[in-house]
Amino acid sequence: MDPALRRGERSGLGVFLDKWPAWIYQARKNIRKIYMSNSSFYKPSTIALHTGYSPELQFGSRAVPIYQTTSYAFDDVSDAKSLFNVERGGHIYSRISNPTVAVLEQRLAALEGGSGAICTASGMSALYATFTTLCSAGDHIVSSEQIYGSTATLLRHTLPRFDINTDFVSINDPEALRAAIKPNTKLVFCESISNPGMETSNLPEIAKIANEMGVPVVVDATFATPSLCRPIEHGANIVVHSITKWIGGHGAAIGGVIVDGGNFDWGNGRFPEMTEPFAPYHGMRFWEEFGPNCFVMKVRSEAMRDLGAALSPQNAFLILQGVETLSLRMQKHVKNTISLRDWLLEQDAVTWVNHPELDSNESSDVAKSLFPNGAGAMLCFGVTGGREGGIAFINSVQLASHLANVGDSRTLVLHPGSTTHSRLTKEALEASGISEDLIRVSVGLEDIKDITSDFAKGLKAASRVTGKASK
Amino acid sequence: MRLDVNGHEVFAATGGKEFDTGLPTVVFLHGSGLDHRSFALQTRWFAYHGYSVLAPDLPGHSLSAGNACASIEDSASWFSDFLDAAGVKSAHLVGHSQGFLTAIEFAKKNPERALSLTAIGTAAAIPVNQALIDTAKASSAKAAHMMVNWGFGPGAHNGISAVPGMQPIAIGRAIMSRNPLAADLQACADYTSGDAAVSSLGNIPGCCILADKDKMTPLKAGLKLADSMGVKPIILKGYGHMLPIEAPRQTLDALRNFVSAVQSQAAA
Repeated sequence: MDPALRRGERSGLGVFLDKWPAWIYQARKNIRKIYMSNSSFYKPSTIALHTGYSPELQFGSRAVPIYQTTSYAFDDVSDAKSLFNVERGGHIYSRISNPTVAVLEQRLAALEGGSGAICTASGMSALYATFTTLCSAGDHIVSSEQIYGSTATLLRHTLPRFDINTDFVSINDPEALRAAIKPNTKLVFCESISNPGMETSNLPEIAKIANEMGVPVVVDATFATPSLCRPIEHGANIVVHSITKWIGGHGAAIGGVIVDGGNFDWGNGRFPEMTEPFAPYHGMRFWEEFGPNCFVMKVRSEAMRDLGAALSPQNAFLILQGVETLSLRMQKHVKNTISLRDWLLEQDAVTWVNHPELDSNESSDVAKSLFPNGAGAMLCFGVTGGREGGIAFINSVQLASHLANVGDSRTLVLHPGSTTHSRLTKEALEASGISEDLIRVSVGLEDIKDITSDFAKGLKAASRVTGKASK
Repeated sequence: MRLDVNGHEVFAATGGKEFDTGLPTVVFLHGSGLDHRSFALQTRWFAYHGYSVLAPDLPGHSLSAGNACASIEDSASWFSDFLDAAGVKSAHLVGHSQGFLTAIEFAKKNPERALSLTAIGTAAAIPVNQALIDTAKASSAKAAHMMVNWGFGPGAHNGISAVPGMQPIAIGRAIMSRNPLAADLQACADYTSGDAAVSSLGNIPGCCILADKDKMTPLKAGLKLADSMGVKPIILKGYGHMLPIEAPRQTLDALRNFVSAVQSQAAA
């Protein structure tokens, strides 16, 4: 800490007006160590429980109420006009905003340290809204080659139909990234931990390169959650989550979120979408009007209005219940994941294990640096017997659920090559770090002994395929 | 809109409508380290309700070029040049925090150009501890960190936002971190003519909008200012120093009632 800051913080709240009475200084000096995020001075577990909601504004209701309504009555014509003219904040129609959803948005923005957030109907709609807010026909995206299968499909097949094209690179290769960015590149995309390759993106290095070239970094941080890593602190500009996963945690509701880091210069000449008049809103220029939160304001004004992929208030309420315990759950998820990882490493029927922190993972140093409290609750491993062994494993486990989801409180297993990534070519599959024997595990909150016992049954079945015994 | 003031490009928000010198003008002056976005919602209301609006970024702040003014007196002089460049002969002046010091210093020298004066979250003097100025000299971001902690009231600290999904503290921090905070704070600290300026305002109609949780220009100092201005203060309860951002609707309600009344009286 530099001397001036030390002196300033030592002075506590008396620092601005120099005539504060001593008792105020004494009362406040204990909150010197206040820094939490860009958005809040509370700690994450407190943010998760309180941010964005005040009971006294809602008839004393301690829980966040569910505003199950499509629309909101205007006081009068003038009130309606002021809302439509963006002369004041408020709700008009639940496709665009909703009070219950807004609490979740404000809470997630604070957890990530962003200037604002918008929730969407799913993680994929969050990505679609982000990409189409930033890109028009003829624009270009640079993406990590190791990404979730549906995101890869969106970038490889859907967006090119609208002349938005993507080049895929090894995201931790600085020269490859630099070379891929073109004058019409509108964003660099990566996942904080890739699905299912388990590659950790070197966010500080990626952000440094992209931002120097005038391009924002969009990070899908679903696998880490803000409990383990806040990408904005590492230079990312926009963070996207599937909040269906650990943030919700219960597997009962689908949703997504886009968080604006408020840390990108949209006026650098590359983004006319942000700086030129927007006809549907009386020629509003979002960068001039809103500055640090112009990206989310544009998403709400355009993507939410036009695409309509809104999160329902019921789902927002359900996901809020998960958010409240996120930090506690992630600790247990990480603990179970490390235990299962270490157990798998000792099994003869396991041919390999991939987890972000293992030395065998090429980005393990990055993972250890970015995720000091653990690199999430996902791991992959290969079973003896290849594809047939994998099928035998999946068919034999009883506690673990075989399904196309991650981030549930229950342990989930999947064979990506025949499910989520089945649409990829063999080459694209390999580029995504997926082999035919790969089993993806989302480690749940069950007792670890029950998880390993269940996996032992699966490995025994896989061993029968090759006749190899499991320990 | 963008205009040239003393050889430097200045950005001034116009509330989403073309600036029209034929309409009564309301000019908004932002506080230390901030910019026109402090008044994003208030400016739009006035622009869409029969007024012309200017909310300049002071020199060297956000979208305006040039160097920050070294003193409130310099800032008032620059403001006069700015109004000349915009073709504004007189206007309703609205100042938040430091912006009000500029407004009263300007009005002291140019009383005929001030149709009214509105003080928001401010006082006649804003003394600043040297430690904070030193911190801002080393890093606007570090000083901004301290100031948003004290500047925002309990609601904003709890993540309550008048605009769905937004985080006012993060927005304020992002703006202040990039602006010349040290120069602004030094200008506030050095300005000791506020009481004299207020006492020279004569018959210029005044309005004081204060916050009871203001830790940066405490209510006590604001009440003293209101007393000097001879006005009954409007006190917004539960909010901090960043009133235009924290309580945009309540601030607007108070402001438009006052400005509308002054306009009506002038028309009568």
